[in-house]
Amino acid sequence: MGDNIYGVLAEFDTATDMVDAAVKVRDAGYTKTDAFSPFPLHEIDEALGIKRSILPYLIFVGGLTGLLAGFGLEYFVHVIDYPIIVGGRPHLSLPAFIPPMYELTILFSAFTAVFGMLFLNGLPSPYHPVFNIPRFALATREKFFLIIEASDPKFDHEETRKFMEGLGAQEVFDVPE
Amino acid sequence: MASMENFRPPEVINRWRVLSLGIGGVAFLIWAVGSYLNTEQALRSWLLGFIFWGGIGIGCLGVLILQYVTGGAWGLVIRRAVEAGSRTLPLIALMFVPLAIGVYTHSVYEFTHLPADDPVVIHRGVYMAPWFWIVRSVIYFAVFMFIAAMLNRWSLEQDNAKDEKTAFDLLGRSTAFSGPMMVVFALTVTFAVVDWVMMLDPHWFSTIWGLLFVAGWGLSCFCFVVALMAFLMDSAPMNAVLGKRHFHDLGKLMLALVMVWAYFNFSQFLIIWSGNLPEETTWFLTRMKGAWGWMGVILILFHFAFPFLVLLQQDFKRRAKWLAGIAIFVLFMRLVDMFYQIGPTPRVDPRGIEAGAFYVSWMDIVAPIAIGGLWLAYFFGQLMKRPLMPINDPNLQRSIDHGRGH
Repeated sequence: MGDNIYGVLAEFDTATDMVDAAVKVRDAGYTKTDAFSPFPLHEIDEALGIKRSILPYLIFVGGLTGLLAGFGLEYFVHVIDYPIIVGGRPHLSLPAFIPPMYELTILFSAFTAVFGMLFLNGLPSPYHPVFNIPRFALATREKFFLIIEASDPKFDHEETRKFMEGLGAQEVFDVPE
Repeated sequence: MASMENFRPPEVINRWRVLSLGIGGVAFLIWAVGSYLNTEQALRSWLLGFIFWGGIGIGCLGVLILQYVTGGAWGLVIRRAVEAGSRTLPLIALMFVPLAIGVYTHSVYEFTHLPADDPVVIHRGVYMAPWFWIVRSVIYFAVFMFIAAMLNRWSLEQDNAKDEKTAFDLLGRSTAFSGPMMVVFALTVTFAVVDWVMMLDPHWFSTIWGLLFVAGWGLSCFCFVVALMAFLMDSAPMNAVLGKRHFHDLGKLMLALVMVWAYFNFSQFLIIWSGNLPEETTWFLTRMKGAWGWMGVILILFHFAFPFLVLLQQDFKRRAKWLAGIAIFVLFMRLVDMFYQIGPTPRVDPRGIEAGAFYVSWMDIVAPIAIGGLWLAYFFGQLMKRPLMPINDPNLQRSIDHGRGH
């Protein structure tokens, strides 16, 4: 044991039990933690001390990139590469440029949102050590799971396991690597 | 069922009512003097205040309909405020009387002075007649007041409901009624603002005009309600109701409507700019010259860009007082926007003011204060009449709990 342990997993019957346990885990100083639930639990972020995602800022930068890319494309096409006079207007006609700039802003923001979310979550992830615990399949149905990973600086196999057992969990599992 | 004692409006509302009434009354007297000095300017300024404050009241009716259709905690916590807003419609109709008299006596609105052989008079015929203009406005008010009366009546019956089934059925009735009324509301607003505002420039037309005001008045209403809720939050009973998630939701709706306002305005500009037809471009040409042009830039920056960037941030939407600050700022920009729409239109009694020139009369400041003071006084009076929450609504507890979450 010791080397090939991914973490210690605890199973809970109700969301409230898990959130209460998560608060104790956070207060004990563990940081490499995660929670699994069949439905979104908004209070778990605060309970586990999970920081707010940087995704919104990435999306803002993505949107800005789209805006400038749209302008760059139109400027290159209409002013530099193939200038044609349309309706007697100047080559650089901002009102006509705005709709494509807007569309590209949305497109780039959406792509940043989707792919940024996948990247930050480490998805797609075909294998995860928690799948080694057969009961973990219940996380998609009725059970709630909390894990402290072995990579946590405070992690000590014996001690962490004892600590988890004292949190009112149904059962505590060692998750192999 | 819950008693009427729950959610009793705080005494502070009465102080606000007296204060508004005092300021509005004084401003109204000053405006009345002005109306002797320059009738047309007085009525144009009155129209500015009427469209701005009346827009909040009519916007409240729209949001009242909307929140029944969509449901949601944000709608339930502001329902009593928008109900009170929709009950100000009789006052708004009364405030319309000076404009009706002005049109009847041909002392405001250029269309009352057009020669009989003017192409739009020939084409539109009786639609341009002052008496028919007034009759149409009476119909608009009748439609608005009918919707408001029904929704307010059922809401009051729900407060007095003896059992849960009656309360549930009354909510269902209001919801079923609100669906079709949304269409009626949007169409009535479209016809109304074409008459009240677009007809100031009788030769100009825009087909998105109605939607501009549906969105703009909706935004006015949300800004007004957010500011009101932030102030009500300081005292019982609303301090036990409102949570940061309620403000977060209202802030999101403000953000959406700021964007919709910009989207509709830009659509109107882009289509007219692309078409480049002389009869359509005049409206923008006037408004892109000199000080009007700068006002347009100010609107783009401070009616759209600045609130947009601020409201994108979660923290701003979750702090009641910050959100209220932004709401009051946007509300002021709504007034600037209304001035930008009304200001440059042709005058029947120019008194040396060049057509389309930038000109702000002292009455443009006094009239909105007068109407605002009187309207707010009436609004606060209506707000005090009922508990600040629909006490027997089936979703009451759920909506209150929603605000406390994260």
